[in-house]
Amino acid sequence: MHAQAAGTRPGRPSRRRFLALSAAGGAAVGATALSGCALRVAGAATGGGESITMMVKLDDVSTELIQQAQRELGIAITVVQDDITRLIAMLTSGNPPDLVRGVGALDAPFYAARGVAENLDPYFAASSVLRVEDLDPANDLWRFDGTTQGKGPRYGMAKDFSQDAMFWFNTAQFDRAGVEYPSETEPITYEEWAEKAERLVVRKNGQTTVYGGSYNGVNIVILLTNLVAAAGGRLFSPDFTRVDFTTPEARRALTWYVEYAKAKVGPSLIQPNPDAWDGPTYVANRMAMSGSGYWLGGMINAEPKIAEVSRLAPAPVFEGGPRISSCQAGTGMWMPKKARNKDAAWRVFEWFFGEGPAKARAAGGWGIPTLKSLRPLMPKKEEYQKRVLRVQEAELRHFSVTPFTPYAKWDALEALINQVMPAAMNGAISVDTLAGRLNSSINEQLKRGKEQVG
Amino acid sequence: MTVGQIPQAVERPRSAARTGTGAVRSGGLPRTSMTARRHRAFYMFTSPWIVGFLLLTVGPMAYALWLSFTTFDGISPNWSFVGLANYRELLADQVTWDSLSRAGVFALTSVPLSIAAGLALAVLVNRPLRARGLWRTLLYLPAVVPPVGAGLVFKALFNRDSGAANGVLNIFGIDAIAWLDDPYARYVILMAVLWGAGNVMIISLAGLQDVPRELHEAARIDGASAWRTFRSVTVPLLSPVLLFQAVTGMIASVQTIMPLLIAANPTPAGVTAIPQTNYMYMMHVFAEYFALGRYGYASALLWVLFVLILIATGLIFKLTSGVVFYNVDPEAKK
Repeated sequence: MHAQAAGTRPGRPSRRRFLALSAAGGAAVGATALSGCALRVAGAATGGGESITMMVKLDDVSTELIQQAQRELGIAITVVQDDITRLIAMLTSGNPPDLVRGVGALDAPFYAARGVAENLDPYFAASSVLRVEDLDPANDLWRFDGTTQGKGPRYGMAKDFSQDAMFWFNTAQFDRAGVEYPSETEPITYEEWAEKAERLVVRKNGQTTVYGGSYNGVNIVILLTNLVAAAGGRLFSPDFTRVDFTTPEARRALTWYVEYAKAKVGPSLIQPNPDAWDGPTYVANRMAMSGSGYWLGGMINAEPKIAEVSRLAPAPVFEGGPRISSCQAGTGMWMPKKARNKDAAWRVFEWFFGEGPAKARAAGGWGIPTLKSLRPLMPKKEEYQKRVLRVQEAELRHFSVTPFTPYAKWDALEALINQVMPAAMNGAISVDTLAGRLNSSINEQLKRGKEQVG
Repeated sequence: MTVGQIPQAVERPRSAARTGTGAVRSGGLPRTSMTARRHRAFYMFTSPWIVGFLLLTVGPMAYALWLSFTTFDGISPNWSFVGLANYRELLADQVTWDSLSRAGVFALTSVPLSIAAGLALAVLVNRPLRARGLWRTLLYLPAVVPPVGAGLVFKALFNRDSGAANGVLNIFGIDAIAWLDDPYARYVILMAVLWGAGNVMIISLAGLQDVPRELHEAARIDGASAWRTFRSVTVPLLSPVLLFQAVTGMIASVQTIMPLLIAANPTPAGVTAIPQTNYMYMMHVFAEYFALGRYGYASALLWVLFVLILIATGLIFKLTSGVVFYNVDPEAKK
């Protein structure tokens, strides 16, 4: 009887067998459903021929651009929203996108060191659209030789770039406050910048109605890396396995940034911008200075009234420090090593970085083109555009690359900084204590990363 | 066939099913066919849930358990099996304990408050009112707003520089308050929870409508005041409903992600910038998973939370066993 109850009776599946079948069936259904997730998102093109999947921000590749690719290349593009968690899921399931958005200054060494990014040197060598001699040096942010960024094989390319320590200023706000304009040819010091911001800020009933200035970089971790370099030091050890915030240069950089936040002249971790980023606030005439590179001109040019009163200024310097003006982003794309449609992906890559879309970006003022041959397309029709372009061209002489560690994702270091920085900004801990805590937590993360990269 | 024979014919398969015998034949068909069909029907009807449960609950939990013994980070090639190291580390991690205690305090505050608020609303809309249906709908509506939407609304309302809350304060000449920063951020989260008290209200309302009217009338005849009737008649009869809400509320509140939804920068990197008072256990888990890429450690954190929730649920049942009054005797149903 027990044997029958356990499942030998014909026509009645045993519980164990049923559960096993359910699990197998469920796994099969689930695997099918999950592998299809990436293909069923917004922006999917239809039709025959080749197709690729791009993981980008939806602003990067509009629906019109997808249709243009279909017409011009005969390749259907499926767009997946840029998201690190989704990327990891796709990589680990063996179903990666064919092209992935990335920030060259920060992502390139990370993915290259882990062997998930394709070496694009053979593709560049064979390309007539993206010729190596036509590539701007800013694209070197996407090179990594196993130890150092800027050398070795190319793992991606920037769609445009800027020198992100430069800043825009609104002359109307300066006139209102009676503050002298910064020079457009010679850099002011970081201390002078902070002093101007203090005089420009407008507060009412405890609310900030006009920010004196915003200076947060592309993100805090790359901002601090560059501020330390501007103070004459370096944040990472030569082998990129450690940081040191206790050096005099790092302390100087850290102190300046903490004081900037304490003064509450602009957005910071303890005073977040309701608009989330500088662009909308600046064009709404509610920000006198924005620490952003040339690329913000793309947004400013769309608002002629603001564009006419806007000027671009060189990257500030620390008194006695070197004059450097780095690119903190170099946002572009890379190709996963396990991408399934590499040839089609490369054709889209060439088209996106060297043909119609690249020319449109260059003419729009959204950053400096990463092909030298596209430079003449940069906007210079209006007087204010010519003025900004002159400042930018002069600044290129001071272009620099601040290499980033391959042993941690920038989000990780940013998260660790965010964890302790507000206490210093609120005056609860000193800069020395902050430096010690940053060293401790970040070096622990870098150690884990070093072990995992090998 | 006589009428008396019918029950006999029907009874036979039932007794066969009870005893497990199945080979008795009647009219050429196996006597077990009815039993087998019943079993098949049971499995057919339950299989969608079972498949879903295995695929979406048991599978991920087992995967997370396996991950919790590794240093896996999602991308790097050299991860390794580390045994119980992640569990040992979390025991010594002050951030874990601090975030856990904040989550505990939040649960102890928010659950009683939302139950009290929901019950009060339920009592109000259970009375004869004009447009009672409209009131019930209006009070329940916030509960159907998705948490992401609610988070965005609260973020906009309480922004220091552009929020309506400070706009109102300014009308009265009061300086703006940084609501989304410490020490006020915790109150904003509590307000967000209470804003969704309609959920509790709707369940309590169902419970209130189940309370026999004659008991209230008997209490009134005996001279009991409204408060005494509520305390001694309504609340005891509602106690199973309140227990259900306490348990599910506790489980939901320790897993809340509302602090992330009202954060200035709700991204993996931004989660650690959440004000300290709102940096609760799930924020810590989120940061370890998606900012620091410590899938193994974060999975260990989740498994510990799972076990703690089981223990807390058991404790709630144990502590309330003497005060929860079941109107239906479970034994009588057997």
